Parts: sequence; structure tokens; C-alpha cells
Amino acid sequence: MSKTRSLASKLLHMVLRHSSADCQDWANAMLRELDFIENDWAALFWALGSTTAIFRHSVRGLKIWFGSRPGPKEELMNNIGKRAVGVVSGVAIASTLVVCAVGLLFLTAYLFPSLGLDRLEWTHWLTVIVIPEAIFIVAAVKLWRKKGPMAVGILLSAIVLAVHFAIHVATH
Amino acid sequence: MKPRLSPQTIIVLTEFLQSPRDWKYGYDISRSTSLKSGTLYPILMRLAERKLLETSWETPEIGKPPRHLYRLTPDGKQFAREHRLLRSPIRVGHAALNGAKS
Repeated sequence: MSKTRSLASKLLHMVLRHSSADCQDWANAMLRELDFIENDWAALFWALGSTTAIFRHSVRGLKIWFGSRPGPKEELMNNIGKRAVGVVSGVAIASTLVVCAVGLLFLTAYLFPSLGLDRLEWTHWLTVIVIPEAIFIVAAVKLWRKKGPMAVGILLSAIVLAVHFAIHVATH
Repeated sequence: MKPRLSPQTIIVLTEFLQSPRDWKYGYDISRSTSLKSGTLYPILMRLAERKLLETSWETPEIGKPPRHLYRLTPDGKQFAREHRLLRSPIRVGHAALNGAKS
């Protein structure tokens, strides 16, 4: 046996000794094929390629073992979590807009008392109800396909604001 | 959804489809497909994991070490035929050869 072939054989025997249980059969199969390769250099390249294949398979097995792939239950939880975050983000964005609108109204009234915004009730309705509601509806329609949960959050906020307005009108 | 297969995997599947009932040796597949062992065996391992390929050890004979044999399972044959219809093996073979040259 030539040195090259001997090296190839030693390499594959070493791989066979050190490979994991699920790779043993494959490593053995690669080793057996070595006897049927006529050219010594081809045998060495066969052994090198086989070593790489076993190494890659072992690395892949390790990745799966370390749980890089979530199970179906975890995936479902992730989806629910993502949707919840989307809805909460929608509500947060809508609330921020309403707070900004109310703040702007009070700031304008404070900075320009001569305008008499305190006494003009329609300006309150326009700034705090009509404009935000219109923005919410347009945003919800635009986001519905791409970011459904966020659109739901915005719509929920729009409904809460509308109900609040209706109660306010009914009680005052 | 159908998994995306590499050109090399399609070459291997096509090779098995040449004589679907026969068992094949690893080195013979390597020679007929011109794939190196480092490319061929990961493909065979994945196909076997997905139950598309069945493996067996040759019956041992005196003075002759047994060899590992491979053959497509019925599911594997169906899978290979579906993918062979989707992509022409000649085109795939050329693509693989061009890839190997570059």
C-alpha cells in the first residue's frame, strides 16, 4: 500500500473512531469505498471529502441539539407574542397621537389666549376627535395587509376614543 | 411548499432514477455524477434522513469487505420524478459543471 493510500485509510479510520453514533455507519461506508478507488490520490481526496462530510454532519447535529430551531409550540408562542407586540404598538402610537393633539390644543390656548380656544368647543372636537380619528382610520387601512396587529391596535384606540366622545356628549 | 433543491441534489436524484430498482454504491454514484465525496455524502445523508433514500449493507463475502448500498424509497422516487419534471437534468448538469469550473 502506498503512503498516500495509507494516509487516506488512516484518516478515515480516525474519523470512524471519533465520529458520533449516528455518523458511524456513514463513516464506515466511506471507508469501505476506499478499497474500490484505483488511484491513490483519488483515494486521498475521497478520504478528505468524506472527513469534511462527517464533520459538517456533526456540526449540523450540534446546532439542532443546541436548539437553534424552535419547536412548533415555541413557534406558536412567538407568533402570539409578535401579534401582541403589534397590537400594543398600535395602541401606543394612537395614544401618543391623541396626547400630542391635546397637548397642542392646550399649548395653543396658553400661548395665544386672544384666540379664545377655551370657549370654542368645536376646536376641541376637531383637534382631539375628528383629526385623530381620521388619521387612525387611514393608518389602519394602510397597515391592514402588512402590519395587521398594529392596525388592530390603532382601530381599538379609535373605537375607545369614539366611545369616550359619545359618553362625554351624552353626559354633558 | 416544496423544498428548494441544489443542482447537485437534483443530479443525484436523476442518477438514482436511471435505474430506480437497483442498489448503488457511493463511489459509483460519485463517478457517474462527478460529485466529490464531500458533496455527495451530505446529500445522501439528508435524503436518508428524510426517508427518501434507503440504505443497506451488502451481504459479506469471504475476502471482500461489505459495501454500503443506496436506493430511493417509493417516496424518494415520487419526489425525484416531481423534481426532475420541474428542472431539466441536462440544464442542471450544465449549471453544475459551470459551477465546478468557476
